[in-house]
Amino acid sequence: MAGSGKTAEMALVLGRSGKWRAFWLTPAAAIALSGCGSSVTMDPPTIPEPLLEPMEVTVGVRFPENFSSFSHEEETVGSEDWSIDLGRSNEVLFTQLFGYMFENVIVLGPDDDPYALDIDAYIEPSIDAFEFSVPSQTKTDFFAVWIRYRIKVFNSEGEQIANWPLAAYGKSQASALGGSAALQRAAVLAMRDAAALMIDKLDRETGVGSARTLRSQAAASPVDDDNRPLPASAKEFLPALAREFSDDPG
Amino acid sequence: MIQAKRSTLLLRTIAGGALLTLMTGCVTSRLENAREGVTGIADGESVVIMAKSYHLGNHTERSYLSCVEDALARGRTGLNVIPHQQFVDSLFPWFEPRTAPAETKGLVKLMQRPGVAERLAEKGVRYIVWLDGDTERVASGGSLSCAAGPGGGGCFGFAWWQNDADYNASIWDLKGLESAGTISADVSGTSFLPALVVPIPLIARTQTAACKGLADQLRQFIVADTGA
Repeated sequence: MAGSGKTAEMALVLGRSGKWRAFWLTPAAAIALSGCGSSVTMDPPTIPEPLLEPMEVTVGVRFPENFSSFSHEEETVGSEDWSIDLGRSNEVLFTQLFGYMFENVIVLGPDDDPYALDIDAYIEPSIDAFEFSVPSQTKTDFFAVWIRYRIKVFNSEGEQIANWPLAAYGKSQASALGGSAALQRAAVLAMRDAAALMIDKLDRETGVGSARTLRSQAAASPVDDDNRPLPASAKEFLPALAREFSDDPG
Repeated sequence: MIQAKRSTLLLRTIAGGALLTLMTGCVTSRLENAREGVTGIADGESVVIMAKSYHLGNHTERSYLSCVEDALARGRTGLNVIPHQQFVDSLFPWFEPRTAPAETKGLVKLMQRPGVAERLAEKGVRYIVWLDGDTERVASGGSLSCAAGPGGGGCFGFAWWQNDADYNASIWDLKGLESAGTISADVSGTSFLPALVVPIPLIARTQTAACKGLADQLRQFIVADTGA
């Protein structure tokens, strides 16, 4: 009965009616829980339609497994632990982004052979690293998210033509509503940052926009093995080899 | 009877307002502007308020940005302000924190990007105002303790803190793709919290003062010359 007495006293302190009790207890519970750590689940972000001219190429894209289910936990010594579940956010973001950036995009399944398709280039994005910081770590009011992506681009023959690492960053101030919303916003900003960076620099960094032209040129002038120019190292090596043979009495 | 009720209500409102005024902390403000070009705004032209990029180390609060937007748009002389998120989305990705031009020199290249000049013209954007700065607690002191028991509770002591709000606004005129000038707001406010059983907060609304001051200056700055 001691417990019920305590409850009665609390009710008296917090408010006489049940409605008032709920009004006070809900934020109190939220504050108490926030001290133990938080888990954030992201809804897939959407990017606005960008102002750009799509690259005139057909690309095949294969997303790694963790693009459809990615989560990360940050343990902070002496403070609360935070975790974030990005879910399908990366898959949705890249599908949408590449859809805007390229004339045609074919999203490949895990067992599909990209080179069996009529594509100009094949792209393999991946996540190299994901990190975030919370206010208790940085002694500021801000949540920050860093995502390091890697974009590998292959030509239609399967040769790797680019391997571009890109780092995206998002930062958001903790709001009165709590840290979860701020961390979620920082993650969305980091993804938008990655999208902006790719729109601005993907072609310059990887040359993917020229993939169709290069493919057409290669098809128009097939390589003549007998007249193929020698690489520099071979030019140095062959005369020495010829001399060696001419000196050989056998 | 109704007349008496109205009088009582009016008296209460005045008393409440006076009490609220008395119950605020001390705020000192300094606002300065530096004009570089002729300004003015025509019907159908609009203003966008943006925060400088966090990639450049800026920490301007979203609440401050929204406050300036609201204050600039409010009233009979309010300007046509495009909400910053709507503007950023409509010009994606060229006003993202990473890609937005940091100087007016970058405007020429920005205008050459596909669809950008057309979208800005369609929205009637004449001025982009870039805010940087933030509000920080710079000092605090005093001591306040509270206790509660079965018979009741209360607080005793005195606490104070000082917040400084330093903000700068750079105004870019898209008509000439040049800087029109800058405005700075430096506001300092000290809040007090004396407590004798019941704490009585005397809060200095530093950030709000910086917001209203800057917005008023901005409005005057932009509409000052009508010969645009």
